[in-house]
Amino acid sequence: MAQGVLSQVLDALDLETFLICSSEDEGKEMTIRLMKALGFQDVDLVFIQFAGPGARVRARAYIYRPGQDYAWVRNTDREGKG
Amino acid sequence: MANCLERKKVLLVPLDPVHDIGLKMIRRGLDEAGHQTMLLPPDLPPEEIVSIISRESPDQVLVSRTLGYGVAELLARFVDLTDAAGLRDKTTLVVGGMAIRPELAAELGFDAGFGPGTSVDEVVAFIEGRTYKPDAEISRKEKVDLAARYSYEYRHPAIARLLEGIVDGILAWAEGKTSPGIKRARLRDEAWDVEAWRQGKSDSNFNDAYGALCDPVAEAFYRKGEVHPKTRRQSKEEIARLEDYLTSVEKSMTVRLLQHREGQPKVFIQYGTGCPFMDIAHIKVCEAWGADGVVHFDPSWGARTEGFIGDFLTHQEDGSVITPENLSRIKAALETSTLWQVRAHRGLNTPETVVLAGKLGADLTKINIAYGALAAGTDPARLTVDGVEAIRMAVKYNLPFDVVTNEELAGVPAHKAFAGMLIVAALARRLGGRPLLQPLFAFSPEVMISGQMRDNYIDFNAAKIEALRAIIDAPIWPGAPIGFLTQTEDRVQSSMTTSLHAALAASLRVDAVSIASSDEAYSGGPIVAASRVDTLRAVAEGFRFFGEGRVEPTKKASQWATEIVDKIEAVLRAVAAAPSFPEALYAGLLGSKEEGAYPGRAGRGTVTEE
Repeated sequence: MAQGVLSQVLDALDLETFLICSSEDEGKEMTIRLMKALGFQDVDLVFIQFAGPGARVRARAYIYRPGQDYAWVRNTDREGKG
Repeated sequence: MANCLERKKVLLVPLDPVHDIGLKMIRRGLDEAGHQTMLLPPDLPPEEIVSIISRESPDQVLVSRTLGYGVAELLARFVDLTDAAGLRDKTTLVVGGMAIRPELAAELGFDAGFGPGTSVDEVVAFIEGRTYKPDAEISRKEKVDLAARYSYEYRHPAIARLLEGIVDGILAWAEGKTSPGIKRARLRDEAWDVEAWRQGKSDSNFNDAYGALCDPVAEAFYRKGEVHPKTRRQSKEEIARLEDYLTSVEKSMTVRLLQHREGQPKVFIQYGTGCPFMDIAHIKVCEAWGADGVVHFDPSWGARTEGFIGDFLTHQEDGSVITPENLSRIKAALETSTLWQVRAHRGLNTPETVVLAGKLGADLTKINIAYGALAAGTDPARLTVDGVEAIRMAVKYNLPFDVVTNEELAGVPAHKAFAGMLIVAALARRLGGRPLLQPLFAFSPEVMISGQMRDNYIDFNAAKIEALRAIIDAPIWPGAPIGFLTQTEDRVQSSMTTSLHAALAASLRVDAVSIASSDEAYSGGPIVAASRVDTLRAVAEGFRFFGEGRVEPTKKASQWATEIVDKIEAVLRAVAAAPSFPEALYAGLLGSKEEGAYPGRAGRGTVTEE
């Protein structure tokens, strides 16, 4: 199900959250670990700012990089994708 | 106005402790459409409302309620009560409010549900049993000519005299000189039949002559069919899929206006993912979210290689390869209202890029000799002769072009960058071209060092616009992009700053702005579509917020504008006294090495006598 929807992501999926942690480095490590645990391989940290109780983060998983074979080009009938 | 047969009796029910603004707006729309309305006070008990429905027998009941804890149960009970009273089949029940969705309304037993963003017209259409059609006139977008209403008259006589003298010198110096770039441009102009090419006809005479004017990488394409090693060809199957995808998108494609009022600047985005498929996908997203124009830029290696290759090519670096096939497919995917700029300002293919842009239907191009020679790696002498030819080609193909001052990003002071921009603009004016002035509208190294934006981001940007307007009557298009170097990896901050710069630009009544995405400061990967939407939405909100209001600069803006004009005059005096314009560039008169401007080396020694 999720895999089918992910194929319709135009380029990347961003995950934003606030992590309770004690430093920016810890927040970075936790964010990348979270993205990997969710099954994403091509991941990066777009934004992190640590203050007070933790870090505001935006992590990114590239589903397609430019030049790849995009499923959304193939699936022009977008009914019932899953 | 509805006639008596169409006239509906509508009961408006704020089933809410306080809020009934939405219903009051809807009542106004229904009254104007000639319907009979009755608005109840807020927070009546459901039993009392049902009693009123029974007494008044309305055709429709519009209930408004913001969803919250226990509200779904309240709404469901209301529907049950009308049912128990035998009224459910006699009247249509509609619910609207924050967090209401059509699916939820159906689940609760209502006939329809309207959520946030619903217009009054949409509700009136529902009441009248019509299919809602948004007013096409409101969202109609037409392509505009940014240079149309300008005279290009000088307003500063002393600077005008200096510019005209410098232009005389440039034209005399370039007379009789040529380069491989000029030869390719003329060959492309004269011998490349774009219509035959569109029909798939290969011209071996053109290919042979063209290949001989190229660097080995490009020459290999014409001799052996090899593409640049960093690129790959899109397959026929991929291209067919793209065509299907575009057909599918076009069925649901609409464009929106970013501007809240007439006269607010047109908004350009710069695409360039490396892949023409992804470029097209990003362009369609940006058009749907309101972009008025899109800018094609090529990879940096494209500017340092003599000659273009062909074919439908993708790669994974910044910038998208300029080939006739790539440009042509991107052009075909654009909405009719979208302005398309193919920039040609910095490299060894400058004049030929203008020819390709012209033949393939671009609306604008970009040429700047000073920036391309001092901050983009091209030899000053080469770019001077190529720049003159590029402007002539822009005139031939009726392409207005912007003259960017991005050398400020290296640390060159605005007045020196502006002097270079004005020289190119004056050259264009002499040759019959239509230049657009493109001052950098950003927190640049110059101001970081010298502190003109310590108090605010308004005054120095406003000073730039005021200074340029004091010199010449020409279109102004800040960029590229606005807000550059104020942006961080934080999308909220980046979008906000972009929006505020756009609002300042609107306040200063400029013609266009180029905006970045909220990914602009993130260097870990390509810009994504969602981050483009961020800044487009933010700019729309900025335009809406200020409307016809203004951002007010302090007195410093005018003081700085006067200083900029005086310093431009001094720079132009020095350039006019130099042995030639290229010598002025080499000598750092328009940006020195200490200021971060280095005369480029690409193409050095390639200028020859004709």
